[in-house]
Amino acid sequence: MEEKKLTEKESLDLIATMINQAKDSYHDTGISAIMWGIVISICALEKLVEILFDFKLPVDIYWLTILAIVPQVFISIRQKKERKVKTYDDIYMDYLWLGFGVSIFLMIFIVNAVFNASEPVSAEYARLTGHPSPFIFREFIAPLFLLVYGIPTFVTGAACKFRPMLWGGLLCWACCIITIFTTIKIDLLLTAFSAVFAWLIPGIIMERDYKRAKQELAQTHV
Amino acid sequence: MFKELDPILHSQLRLAVMSLLISVREAEFTFIREKTNATAGNLSVQIQKLKDAGYIDVIKQFKDNYPQTICKITKQGIRAFEEYVANLQSYLGKG
Repeated sequence: MEEKKLTEKESLDLIATMINQAKDSYHDTGISAIMWGIVISICALEKLVEILFDFKLPVDIYWLTILAIVPQVFISIRQKKERKVKTYDDIYMDYLWLGFGVSIFLMIFIVNAVFNASEPVSAEYARLTGHPSPFIFREFIAPLFLLVYGIPTFVTGAACKFRPMLWGGLLCWACCIITIFTTIKIDLLLTAFSAVFAWLIPGIIMERDYKRAKQELAQTHV
Repeated sequence: MFKELDPILHSQLRLAVMSLLISVREAEFTFIREKTNATAGNLSVQIQKLKDAGYIDVIKQFKDNYPQTICKITKQGIRAFEEYVANLQSYLGKG
């Protein structure tokens, strides 16, 4: 870009061009979304297999979500280092997903506490009446998680104008409603389905866009 | 009566830099260079002029043992930019 005297029209055009360039400048990698999409769907499907074939792994598969925090921290640090530009949205998105992470772990804690409290009551009911308890708490766990999954996914999709994630968030909420009325097997299947459509597929699209943008940038600098 | 356009902003490269910085929270020097296609020397001079006018903050630091320059628009810069755009619009509207 050379220094030259601008007309008023050229000045306004230049401003519009540069603002648009800044808007299109940053593409997030989809690695985190892909990883969490895979982790959550594996956890849900493994639980489903445990129920279908009546066996139990020595450890709860959901510990995988705790393990996945380690690569997530490295991914976040690397992405922050690679960013040449920070937008106003970045800070809100970071806090949104951090808040989501904290909420999920609080939910796990609450769900475990309620489960441990309700199981003896159900067992006692079954012993006294000879019928299984009409209230089985584990049937209501999936809707709670799907409700929370939908929030950051929908907000990110809407704020970043990224439709696959916006639809993914809506799908989480739709599955949240359905799973209130379905058995745990369907709940787990819909949880895996939601994770694939809310994170895995949008993540693959984001990663593809990120690589394409990187390639285009490299070509302009040849 | 037309107001005179701010001479600091009424220059192609400085205006391009300000237009980029108004849309983001902060940007690295290399990012601005990529987007404006300016030479490093020319861009440094124009960034220094914007800094001297109080329109941008320039933070120099090291990242992985390499020098890194980060630019950020100031409140004064935002006001100046908004006034510049309003003046441009009045020129074009009445011209």
